[in-house]
Amino acid sequence: MTVINYQCPTYRDAYSRINAIVIEGEQEAHDNYIALTQLLPDRSEELHRLAKMEERHKKGFTACGKNLEVTPDMEYARQFFAALKQNFDDALRQGNLVTCLVIQALIVECFAIAAYNIYIPVADPFARKITEGVLKDEYLHLSFGEEWLKANFAQVKQDIEAANRQNLPLVWQMLNQVTADARTLGMEREELMADFMTQYSETLGNIGFTSREIMKMAAYGLA
Amino acid sequence: MFGLIGHLTSLAHAQEVARELGYEEYAQKDLDFWCVAPPQIVADITVKSITGKTIVGKYVESCFLPEMLLLKKFKAATRKVLNAMAHAQKHGINITALGGFSSIIFENFNLMEMLHFRNIKLEVERFTTGNTHTAYIICRQVEEGAQKYGIDLAKATVTVCGATGDIGSAVCRWLSVRSPIQELILVARNQERLQALRDSLGRGKIMTIEEALPQSDIVVWVASMAKGMEISPAILKKPSLLIDGGYPKNLATTIQVPDVQVINGGMVEHALDVDWQIMKWVNRYAPSRQLFACFAESMLLEFEGWYTNFSWGRNQITLEKMDQIGALSRKHGFRPIV
Repeated sequence: MTVINYQCPTYRDAYSRINAIVIEGEQEAHDNYIALTQLLPDRSEELHRLAKMEERHKKGFTACGKNLEVTPDMEYARQFFAALKQNFDDALRQGNLVTCLVIQALIVECFAIAAYNIYIPVADPFARKITEGVLKDEYLHLSFGEEWLKANFAQVKQDIEAANRQNLPLVWQMLNQVTADARTLGMEREELMADFMTQYSETLGNIGFTSREIMKMAAYGLA
Repeated sequence: MFGLIGHLTSLAHAQEVARELGYEEYAQKDLDFWCVAPPQIVADITVKSITGKTIVGKYVESCFLPEMLLLKKFKAATRKVLNAMAHAQKHGINITALGGFSSIIFENFNLMEMLHFRNIKLEVERFTTGNTHTAYIICRQVEEGAQKYGIDLAKATVTVCGATGDIGSAVCRWLSVRSPIQELILVARNQERLQALRDSLGRGKIMTIEEALPQSDIVVWVASMAKGMEISPAILKKPSLLIDGGYPKNLATTIQVPDVQVINGGMVEHALDVDWQIMKWVNRYAPSRQLFACFAESMLLEFEGWYTNFSWGRNQITLEKMDQIGALSRKHGFRPIV
């Protein structure tokens, strides 16, 4: 295994973008869970709890950047999430809870889980500890969306499929965009994709999709 | 519930099967895609024993392809096996056989050290390599094949290629104690292991494959090679019997010469039909009744409720365990294909 020099300019340059992405990702997750209270008022307390966790994650990842004396490129991160955020905001405006949950509680959480799992073994010691703590929470966030969609599966199945078609291609584009920086941090695209697809497929299976449906959905939009 | 972790024999095979099963988007993808594709349960299986007992199981496609080994994509290969095992475990499967290359990858890449990954802790007692049953069946194929094709074992020279592997070493132990064979030839790549095996057996000649084949009445091929076995028919003794325990099994089609018989090694036939769709893709011989002995081992363990990693580790297969699994094999209606 190659030894990673966390202080070298190339690493820190890549880190300024990846670190910004996770900080922005956690911020948007926080905002999204708060926004979801509009559509799920009876789950407001739980959503606020999830949002609070995301806020804590954001602070943790901000500390990771400071620890390496890296300034996160927040503008880059906002651009990175722009299309996905737009889809979430549109769905929220239309009262489309299913799409909101698919974007935030399935796709984003599955991606975060995959990325954090791949990152932990190659992270600097400070960031490793923070990320390990974050990861445990993200599994809870995933199960929030998973459980709601499972409980309402019969009514929302087609909407989940539509949200998947709309948003999964964005995930592949986002992944392409970070491939080089992630590699600098020791994270291979193939591993990120494999772990995302495995986690996402498993989640779709738990919600109620058949193997055949999952195979088609999880590969949707891949070139 | 039992499980089988399997995979297809090549990228071309995988693309063909994907197309036949209606996954056009998978059929068009290259190896990179198969490297990231997650495991899936693609079939439910029902098996009835001749004792009358019926069990159900699931087939887990790992999406591993042998090209991953040829192209040294070892991370992908190990990920495939671990993910497929995790998938089986999460679906509550009690005992799952690691078919094809899965058990070889598990052993060679030391996956015992990697059982804890993501939020998963693999419970090894839920898995079996199936190698004890495979070794037993191959030994029976040697004996029954010799009888069928008029080879007198007492005068026969038997070569085991891949002698130091888990299955190969078990076959050598059986043949040297239980069969009246005249000569045993041991072929493998690792000379140190070969010598250790010879010492433990107290018999057997160590040779290269080129030296061994021209003098062998029976050849047992259990070496693991990602492309299957390639040997020239010209150097084979005539008559002789080849037992092809490799995967994919390509000897029956590549070696078509008079006086050389080929048996699909490590394959069993069940007395009753097995209800499964997937097997016609995984093996193309006689889908409804024939299957890999390693798969059948998980069925045997399920029939008996033995939820334990019966076959595990390297070179742990004893004659007693072969007797045990052999008795179950006969009890539930499996027999070696000859």
